[in-house]
Amino acid sequence: MMRKPIKPITPKPSQYGINPSLVKTRVAELPGMVSLLLKDLFPELPDTIFPGGEDALKDVRKAAEDALMKVDMSMIKPEQSVNVLCSHHGFTLFGGEPYAELLKTIKDIIEKRTGCKNIRLRAGVGMRFRETEEYIKRYGLDTYYEGKAIGMAPVDEGIPIETEIGTLYGLKKVYDADWIIHAHHTDVREVHFHRQVDKAVKPFGMSYARIETRSTYHQNLGPRAANFVARAIFESEFVQSKFAFAAFLNVGPHGIIGVDVDNDLYALNDRATFIGCQLYGKIMTLLGEIDECIAVLDFPCPVPYVFSAGVIYANFLGANTDLYDLENPLPSYTWYTEAFYGKNGKPILDNIPPINPAIKMCVHNYAWLGYPSAFFSEHIPTVVVGQEQGDLFDTDPLNMKYMDYATTIKTTEAAMNFAYRATGTDKVIIFDGAMAGMNVSESLAKLLIEKAPMISEKVDKVLLPKWFKQRGVDISILKELQKTQK
Amino acid sequence: MKKVTLLAKVNNGKCKGCKICEKVCPVLAIKVKDKKAVVDADACRGCANCEQRCPFYAVEMVKREVPLEIGIDVSKYDQEKIKEICEKANLNPEQTICYCVGTRAEEVAAAFLAGAKTPEDVSSMTGARTGCTVECIQPILRLVQAAGYELAQNKDGWQWYGVTPTAWNLPEDVKKKYGSRGFYFEEDKELLDKIVHTKCEGGEHHDA
Repeated sequence: MMRKPIKPITPKPSQYGINPSLVKTRVAELPGMVSLLLKDLFPELPDTIFPGGEDALKDVRKAAEDALMKVDMSMIKPEQSVNVLCSHHGFTLFGGEPYAELLKTIKDIIEKRTGCKNIRLRAGVGMRFRETEEYIKRYGLDTYYEGKAIGMAPVDEGIPIETEIGTLYGLKKVYDADWIIHAHHTDVREVHFHRQVDKAVKPFGMSYARIETRSTYHQNLGPRAANFVARAIFESEFVQSKFAFAAFLNVGPHGIIGVDVDNDLYALNDRATFIGCQLYGKIMTLLGEIDECIAVLDFPCPVPYVFSAGVIYANFLGANTDLYDLENPLPSYTWYTEAFYGKNGKPILDNIPPINPAIKMCVHNYAWLGYPSAFFSEHIPTVVVGQEQGDLFDTDPLNMKYMDYATTIKTTEAAMNFAYRATGTDKVIIFDGAMAGMNVSESLAKLLIEKAPMISEKVDKVLLPKWFKQRGVDISILKELQKTQK
Repeated sequence: MKKVTLLAKVNNGKCKGCKICEKVCPVLAIKVKDKKAVVDADACRGCANCEQRCPFYAVEMVKREVPLEIGIDVSKYDQEKIKEICEKANLNPEQTICYCVGTRAEEVAAAFLAGAKTPEDVSSMTGARTGCTVECIQPILRLVQAAGYELAQNKDGWQWYGVTPTAWNLPEDVKKKYGSRGFYFEEDKELLDKIVHTKCEGGEHHDA
């Protein structure tokens, strides 16, 4: 089952990371590393259309066209305007091309089916305010959308939105068209925040929202109740008057499974919940079985967002608990958890779980700034490869303290050797975005292969029924979806 | 406490005087005068919002020759008043409210005792909300109100628009209507209340 390492995602030029030429060595290239395919670990995973053969991107387009031809677009008139809303994270999935292809296809099919020509792309971000500007250029979306593609940031001009719970605030540029299309994906990403509750709706309270709304999510309601923010906005009369349909890349941890388009976002959300809980739930639960390891960051993304097997590092920080179990109020890492550490460096409440104790050291070979990450280096011994990378973090307003707790080592090889000696473990998990699988050390591969069948059964028989019950999802829809995936 | 190492610098050749930098600065440190943006170097807290939102790429962040050390020494102020302000805002004094700078609620509360009256004063004096400038706006607004000051939005800017719902004022009918969808409204309010009322330092059993 062990294979040679999968080629990691290549370093990308960005104002948020070091110059790609400074990334001399990828950890997957070092001796002792192997790869595991997720489909080998969990044979029941559905087939993917991307990654695939040479026509994989064409297959994504075909799937998008087919799905977009079936949805109701009759509300869009030729003389009207449409905003296609997208978010930064989609461009970090499987190299970014599949999401960009979806966005291009949406424009083409709307034009074809409605005659509408005034179609704009509005691209939201997290905390790196120019991130989607970079993606728009990289994937040629500015020319494809005929100069009507712009990035948006949460500090941009806002508008009040009256909701069932009171006034929240959206970005003006999101809603300055007659109709909005919600173009997203089912990748789970921040399970520690959303807990797979209304994940498909979340951008309405996050990348499409102003700072006041995002702060409401992260500070005002609590770790689980926070997920109501997006639903409150989406259900508002104002947003409902503009919402036309949602178009999602169906993404599993191993690749793109298909494209899902629906006028009913909640129906799509239930299907996304199935994907998030079952497909991602298995690999996430498996990673919780790791007893000790060195975690390697090696991907063009901020520290918490680097990927291994479709799981982000921030989720691995909480893999010692069940992130999907809503009876656990606080994961090991989420912003509410971070907020609740007192001045003595310990949690204010005794039942707050620690950061995953299996992570003995973090080797930061290549990762971007632009997300407050000092909490990670404060709690996990961290070595950063290259002085340039350490210096870059010292210039980031969000990370002025990251290097207070981390140290730099000149080369990747030296950093790994140091980590092996200091921790005494040879188990390594590499967060480098390896598509369809994961790059790990041989010793860790053995452990994962041994545990995978037991985890698969546990998720299917014990955990999934509990997770679905906690979310009140319509099981009949999910059973239908299971049939179509077989 | 924050060490401010960066300073915004305007390239007058590129600046068009559009005023977006003014609208997004959390400490009102950049103003357009005679159609060009001008940075008040003493007031700039190095958040880079102006640099990140300038449509003409006319602002760059440069290293300060001498870093600024900003922050409030909490120990110099009335601890009971600090606790009172935090509790009124439903925050534990020791809880972190700004994840980028690491500012705790007690430091913001102490800032009011040191003369702060507005969210912009808080950011200027403590450094809170001068990292991402996004996630901590609500606890800051809650603390301004808890300290007894009225919130007055800058009508010419986009610094902030207003307070939003909290766990303590969610409508009962909403909680009932969506109770089965995994939001755990009541349980989360109980958790937040427990945090607010747990005495630090050292956790819930240390000196309770």
